[in-house]
Parts: sequence; structure tokens; C-alpha cells
Amino acid sequence: MTARSMSTSTVSSQRAVNNAWWSRAWTNNAPGYLFLLPWLIGFLGLTIGPIISSFYLSFTNFDLLTPPRWIGADNYIRMFTNDPKFVASIRVTLFFVVFSVPLKLAFALGVALLLNRGMRGLPLYRALFYLPSLLGASVAIAILWRQLFAGDGLVNQVLANFGIEGPSWISNPRYSLWTLIILSIWQFGSPMIIFLAGLRQIPQDMYEAASLDGASKSRMFWKITLPLLTPVVFFNAIIQTIEAFKSFTPAFIISGGTGNPINSTLFYTLYLFQEAFGYFRMGYASALAWFLLLLVAAFTAFSFLTSKYWVHYDE
Amino acid sequence: MTSEAPRLTVVTGSDASTAWRKRTFSVISHALLIAASILMLYPLLWLLSASFRPENEIFNATSLWPSSWSLDAYFRGWNGLRVSFSVFFLNSFVIAILCVVGNLLACSLAAFAFARVPFRGRKFWFAMMLMTLMLPGQVTLIPQYVLFRSLGWIDTILPLVAPKFLAVDGFFIFLMVQFFRGIPRELDEAAMMDGCSWWRIYWKIMLPLSVPVLATAAVFTFIWTWDDFFAPLIYLNEMKQYTVMLGLRTFTDSTGESDFGGLFAMSVLSLVPIFVFFLLFQRLLIEGIATTGMKR
Amino acid sequence: MTFRVDRRQFLMGSTALLAAGAFSPVLAQDSSLRLLFWGSQARADRTYGVTDLYTKAGGPAIEGEFLAWNDYWPKLATQTAGGNAPDVIQMDYRYIVEYANRVAIAPMDDFVGSALELADFDADQLEGGKVDGKLYGISLGANSVALMINTADFEKAGIPVPGPTTTYADLPAMAEAFKAAGIEKKVIADGSGSEPMFENWLRQRGKALYTADGKLAWEAADATEWFTMWADFRAKGVCVSAEDQALDTGPLETTMLTLGKAAVIPSNSNQLVAFQAINQDKLTISNFPRIAADAPGGHYRKPSMFFSIGGTAANKEEAAKLINFFVTSKEASLVLGVERGIPCSAGVREALAPTLDEQSQTALNFVANLGDLLGKLPPSPPAKAGEIDASLFRTLSQEVAFGARTPEDAGAALFTGANDILSRAA
Repeated sequence: MTARSMSTSTVSSQRAVNNAWWSRAWTNNAPGYLFLLPWLIGFLGLTIGPIISSFYLSFTNFDLLTPPRWIGADNYIRMFTNDPKFVASIRVTLFFVVFSVPLKLAFALGVALLLNRGMRGLPLYRALFYLPSLLGASVAIAILWRQLFAGDGLVNQVLANFGIEGPSWISNPRYSLWTLIILSIWQFGSPMIIFLAGLRQIPQDMYEAASLDGASKSRMFWKITLPLLTPVVFFNAIIQTIEAFKSFTPAFIISGGTGNPINSTLFYTLYLFQEAFGYFRMGYASALAWFLLLLVAAFTAFSFLTSKYWVHYDE
Repeated sequence: MTSEAPRLTVVTGSDASTAWRKRTFSVISHALLIAASILMLYPLLWLLSASFRPENEIFNATSLWPSSWSLDAYFRGWNGLRVSFSVFFLNSFVIAILCVVGNLLACSLAAFAFARVPFRGRKFWFAMMLMTLMLPGQVTLIPQYVLFRSLGWIDTILPLVAPKFLAVDGFFIFLMVQFFRGIPRELDEAAMMDGCSWWRIYWKIMLPLSVPVLATAAVFTFIWTWDDFFAPLIYLNEMKQYTVMLGLRTFTDSTGESDFGGLFAMSVLSLVPIFVFFLLFQRLLIEGIATTGMKR
Repeated sequence: MTFRVDRRQFLMGSTALLAAGAFSPVLAQDSSLRLLFWGSQARADRTYGVTDLYTKAGGPAIEGEFLAWNDYWPKLATQTAGGNAPDVIQMDYRYIVEYANRVAIAPMDDFVGSALELADFDADQLEGGKVDGKLYGISLGANSVALMINTADFEKAGIPVPGPTTTYADLPAMAEAFKAAGIEKKVIADGSGSEPMFENWLRQRGKALYTADGKLAWEAADATEWFTMWADFRAKGVCVSAEDQALDTGPLETTMLTLGKAAVIPSNSNQLVAFQAINQDKLTISNFPRIAADAPGGHYRKPSMFFSIGGTAANKEEAAKLINFFVTSKEASLVLGVERGIPCSAGVREALAPTLDEQSQTALNFVANLGDLLGKLPPSPPAKAGEIDASLFRTLSQEVAFGARTPEDAGAALFTGANDILSRAA
């Protein structure tokens, strides 16, 4: 036996080890999991526990003051067969999502495009448009909205100049939801900033090359801007929809937590909050939460599946 | 011999009419912007006005202009509670900055993994991450409270800050994923051929090119942390630990006496830091694209 | 990478730990009491003033925490669920039954006579804090329902403000006077959704909201008559319109009085000071209207709020002593005033009365001199009463107001709906 054959056999056995599935799996997957580690620790340590807990609670009667009591699927049965407020809240929330999200995104994109042109006073305008989003959950917003949309509010005073006598938008069950939709749209600063960041990431030389080729502004928008912006549009659409489904604060501060008049502002999570902390029915609230999760997850999965038809990634 | 004649740009219309069109467009857009700005500003003006006027006029008055001006509400609000607002501002600031650092670090790491690094189970974990965005917070509140209590973190800022270092904010992970996917892969591939490890790609290529989205994440984290009152409400007990938003909520009592002047005065002041932060960072948002003169 | 601790550090560290351990029993003995209450700065100032007095007089340190009403209940529930409940808890009659039934607050009967010296405490106030015969809360002040009145409007109309003899039937005449004087405001807010007003009206008819065993003490016909009366007022312009009333979402600044839509609203006697602070016109209070000139009173003095002892409090006796100080000490009452209601101890009331300002005097006199308006204290409401009020009663009243339901329909719906909620198992 020569030294070479011995080293060959060592090499081949080494290679055999390297090709073992667990070794390959480690080399292939280790980098990814290492980058993911902080998130994994957070997810498994801080998030998954409470999530599983809340799922368990949805099958119990939990009044917060005494330990939970198992009742099986009773919460879900009640939700689907014997709860008019549940139906009302679904209706209100769906209406809100369908109308506020597209409008908000349209405004955000429109203003972002406008502000992207590098006009004078740009930083100031940008900050001004973001201002409403800064006010967040302030009590001041409730007062302001009443000042604007009540029977004798500013909006009606303006309308009176045109001879139109407006109702009390904010306290009439037929229109109250619209004032909340407007509130949501008014706080379009966040998606606008994200659109701006996305617009800024589109390389300028693409526009230069296109204009050298004689493309009009409109063509450039449809052929360059929009396609390259689709990842950001997708993000904003998904996020805004999820947040609209979970929307709580506007309804809470404007209706004082009541969801009135006549449950016309009873957002789903507001109803959930009432059940959890108002009526000591945390078990039922958990069931409500999981139903919402299913609803939103279904929508999101659908969006992701269809996204390949219109979202262009640079890959 | 072929000579390459320079391409001529054909522009319709004369120079003068284009300039005229440009100017009208500019005037119209400025007018629209100014009108819209007033709409955006009106609430702030109302807040300002309410903070200077006498208490019993705030809700009955018809015009924006106060009948009498006084800084009383500001002094009252600042020192009214046993703990002065300077403590609240400091607390809010510390918490917000820590959250920004945590989010930027942890979320970019996770986003890089999801967007670039191939590994088994990536799609599954991504779906899990998205799922955390969809569950309303009200129902995980109690289990989380119990969890933090068993860790002994109640009445500290740990429940507010530590999760950020563990990338709990799926929103930012998702945001960064979308941005990372917009950066061409050729750069990664070129770097890998040069022998770069994933870490170097992350640190030297991805992050510098992502300044706009990182600045965006920083701004949002700061503002949302600053504005958040529910988590501090639940986890902070002692008044010395309160944040500004929590302090604001002690001004009003829906069942008894409230100090609305103080509330509005402090609300105005609480807007200042986030506004400043926003102004500082929006430069990064814009200037960050200096590096995107990439060759395609 | 190894973490290295050198021997000296280790010794110092462990000594420090041991020392801390040795000292902590001492610290634990001196442990403070945690107090949780709702209110705003005004109330906090007064409350902390009292806790300071208490500590100076030799009591343990008090860690006080206060929140707005809306934030208070989620936080208290979370703390209780997390096993972290405070020692002394401010409690409301709406929730005391729930908390008592779950033993989240402790019964205090054992302390009466020892830590709690309640010799000259009003008997009805003491009763108000009982659930199922056991004492769970000490009333911090009595108040009564009252009409909050804008005197300036009545002056302008040239008619006297509502008083002890005013009946519901007098209201339309007031509306006429208002119109004649050119006042745009309506006379009164829409009270059809006000549970205290409904209760007061029922009591004048010899009925009540709930029986002692938690059932409804009225019929669908009563509810229908109630809704019809208000529908009538609404149609005649005596009370505010549906849209206006819907602006009232609870807080004082959204009420019809503050928004300038009505001159009179149903309220509570201890809110006079708070209302006056945000209204420019001079306000006063009066009783709810009678249903007829000779009707018996439907009023009662109810506890405005309680202090209860946390179910898991380590030292319940200390907690009881603190509560005792609050309600029986004369110095404490001077600091507290009538902000939480009229003091329930006769001796304290006497000491306090001369020091009050005009509006507080008005409130005190009103509650003390109800005369024949005063009726018996009702039994404590069943746990579901809050849900019936917020979720059913108010919604139905709004539906009638906006014309989505007839009063007959609403009356029947209220009766069956309330019974449904009561019979539903927790």
C-alpha cells in the first residue's frame, strides 16, 4: 500500500462525510438560519406562546379574574349562530376595508408621485402631509373630527355656502362610517413615505435612457415607474388591508368605545375589545380574534398567490 | 464604414409652449398642495389655539383665534403631575431610540434571510412571520403579560424594548424583504464569485443600498413607539417610568374634572420631537439614492 | 468565548447578594401599599395629598397610580389576571359585583369595628357597598342623579330653572318659552338612552330596574311608554334631535350641555364642578323631573365610587386602615373636598361644610336635602346590568330616535333582549 492510496482512501472517506445529508443540510441551511436567529428566538420565545395561548383561550370561558374553563366550541357556535353584533361588526369592517384601503393607497401614491418631482418646498410639504399620521391616537382627533363633521361643523358650513344642508355626518348612522374612512385616508402619510422610498430606489438613468429614446412622461410612468414600483405597491396593499381589518383606534376614540350610533362604527376589533375587557368574556374575544386571523390569512394567501401575475421583482 | 449618427430627441411643440405648460402645471400643483396642506394643518392649528385659550372657551368657541392668550396651560401641564414632563420626555426618548436600534438590526437580518439566503423552510417561516401581523393584539395581551411577569419584566421597559431586538415587528421585516428583492441579484452573485460570505454581502452590499428603507423603518419605529400608549399602559406601573403619551392620558377624566388646556399644550409639545426626528431622517430617505447609479 | 470572573469579583458579588438577601426581609416589612384609582390630575392631587398625610401620621408608604377611566378597567383586569393586583382598588358599582363574585376583591366585614371605624357612617352608603350581604367596598362619597342646568338660558327665556316641583309635562311649556325668546337650543337632552333617568322614572311609578334576585322589575309596556314619551318630545322639539344626541359618546365634553345643544342634561350631583370648569355659563343642579306633581321621589343617594381591598393583597388590615383614614379623617376630607361625592360620615360632613366653595355647597345641599324625593336604596344590580345598558338600552334608544324602530317594537325588544342577557350563563 502506497502512501498515496492511503491518502486517497482518507480523502474519499472525507468526501463521504461531507456528502452526508446532515452535513450538506447544515452547510446549505446554516447561513439562512443564522441570519434568522434573532427572529426565531423572538418568535418561539415571545410570540408563539401567547398565540397558542390565545387559541386555547378561544375554547374556554375566561373572565380574566378566575382561571379559564373549557367549554369546547361553544364560543364559535355562538359567534356564527347567535350574535347580531358579530354580523354587524363584520359588515362595518368589510365596508371600511373595501373603501378606505384603495382610496388611501391612491392618495398616497398620487401625492408621492407629486412630491417626487423635486419641486420647491418639497421637504416642507412632505412633512406637512405626514403630520396627520403623527397625531396618532390623540384625544384631540376625536374633538377635531366632531368639529368638522357634526351638524354645525366646518364641513356643513362650507356646504351651506353651496346651498347644501348636510346631516350630522359623524353622528348619523348612515354616514358615520364615512367619517372614519376619511380619517383613515387623512392619515395616509405612512404609505406615502413608503411609496416615496420606493420611487427613490428606481435608478434615475432608466428615466434618462427612456427620455433619450423619446418616451413621454406618461409612457415612462406606465412602463418604468409602475412596474418597478409593484413590490412596494404589493407591500402597501397587503399591510394597509391587514391594518384596516384590525383597525381599532379611530373607532375607539371617535365613538368613545361604543361603536355607536347604532353600531355603525362597531369595528371588529372594537367589538372584540368590548367583549374582552368590557364584559369579561376573554374566551369569546379570543375566538373572535382567531376568526379574524383566518379571514385575513385567507385574503393574504390569495394575494400572494396571485402576486406573481403583476408584481415584478428584479430577480 | 458606418458612422453612428447621434440619436435625435424629437420633442413635440416648441420650447416656449412646453415651458408654459410646465409653469401652469407647477402653479396648479402648488395650489393643490397648499390647499391640502391647510387641510392637514388645521388640526394642529386648532390644538395650538386650544392650548393658549382659557379652559371654558375651548369647546364653545367659534373661531380659531383665542380671546385671551396665556402660557398657563403649558406651565400647568409641564409640572402639574408629581413627576414633571421632562422625565416623561426622557423616558419616551430612551425607549424610542432603543426600539429603533433593535428594529433596524434584527429586522434587517431576518429580512435578508427571507429575501436572499436560500434555506429549507424559508417559505414556511415567512408565512409564520406574516401570521404574527394578522392577530389582533388584544387577545395576546394577557398571555404576554403573564409571560413577562414570569420573567420579572413588569414595571421595566424590557417588555417594550427587548422584543424589538428579536424582530417582533413583522411589518418591518416584510417591508425590508420587498425592498431587498428590488435590489439586483447580480451584485450578490458577483460578490460571491469574489469569495464574499453572506455576512459580507449583507453588511457591505445590501445595507448600504437600503438606506431609504432603513431610514423609513427608523422613522416609523420612532414615531410609532413614541405614539404607543397601550403597551406602556399595561407594563409600566410607576409614574416615574411613564412615557409622554401615558402622561397625556392622565389629563382627561371622562367622569370628572379634566385639564384640557394642559392636555393640548403637552400634546403640541409632544409632537415636536417626532417632527424633528422625521425632518432629520427624511434627508436620508432622499439622499440615500446617491448610490443607486447602478449599471444594469 | 469564555466568560471569566475572577475570584475577587465572585466574592464581592456573592457578598452583595447575601447582604441584599439579609436586608430584604426588613424592606419587606416596611413594604408599601399599592393604590390604584381613576381620575385626572385634579383628583390625583387630592388623593396624593391624603396619602402624604397618612404616611406622615405613621402609616406605611403608599404607591399611588392613577389612570383615565377608559384605561383603568383594562389595566386593572390585566393586573388581576396576571396576579399583580393592587392592594387598594377604587371600584365602581358597575363592576363591583363582578369583582366580588370572583373574589378579586376581598370582603371587609371582619374589619368593621376594628380597622374600619364606621360608627357615624351613613347606613345606606354602607349598604351600597354590599354584594350578597357581604361588604366589599366602602363608599367614598354619596351622590345623586341630578339635572345639570344652564341658568343663563333660563334667564334669557325668563322662566325659572327646573326645581323640586317640575314634572315631565312642564317641559313642552319650557320649550315654547325658549322658542319665544329666540333660543336655538332645545330644553333638554334626549334622555331615552339614559339608564339612571329610566330607573328614576320607573321608581316613581313604584317599580324598579332590577329585583333583589337580579330579574327585571318592569314590563315591556313600561319601556314602550318611556320610548314613546321621548319620541313625542323629539317630534315637538322639546328634546334634542337624534343626530345631536348621538354626538354624546360619554365624556363630559361631548354632552349636549357643553356642546350647546341643550340647556338641561341628566347627570350626577358630584359633576357640577367638573362641568362648570368647561362651560362659560353659570350652571346649577336640580332633581330629575317628576312624573306627576304628587309622585314619590325616585332618587336615592348612591355611592359614587368605592375603595375595595384587593383579593390577593398581602396585608389586608393595613389596606383597611388606609381606607378608614380616607373616609373618617377630618383632615383628609379637607383635602378631598366633595370631588368624589358627599362624605358619608356625618362628623366629616359637619367639619367640611363651612369650608366649601359655592358650587360644592350647592352639590352638598342638594344631596343632603332631597326630602320627599328620596326613596329607598335599590338592591345592587346584577352583573349583566352594565352590558344591558351599554349594549342594548342605548342602541335601542338610538334606533327609535333615528326612526329605525317604533317605540312599541323597542319596548318589546328591550324586555326580551334584557332577559336574554340575564339568563345567558356567564
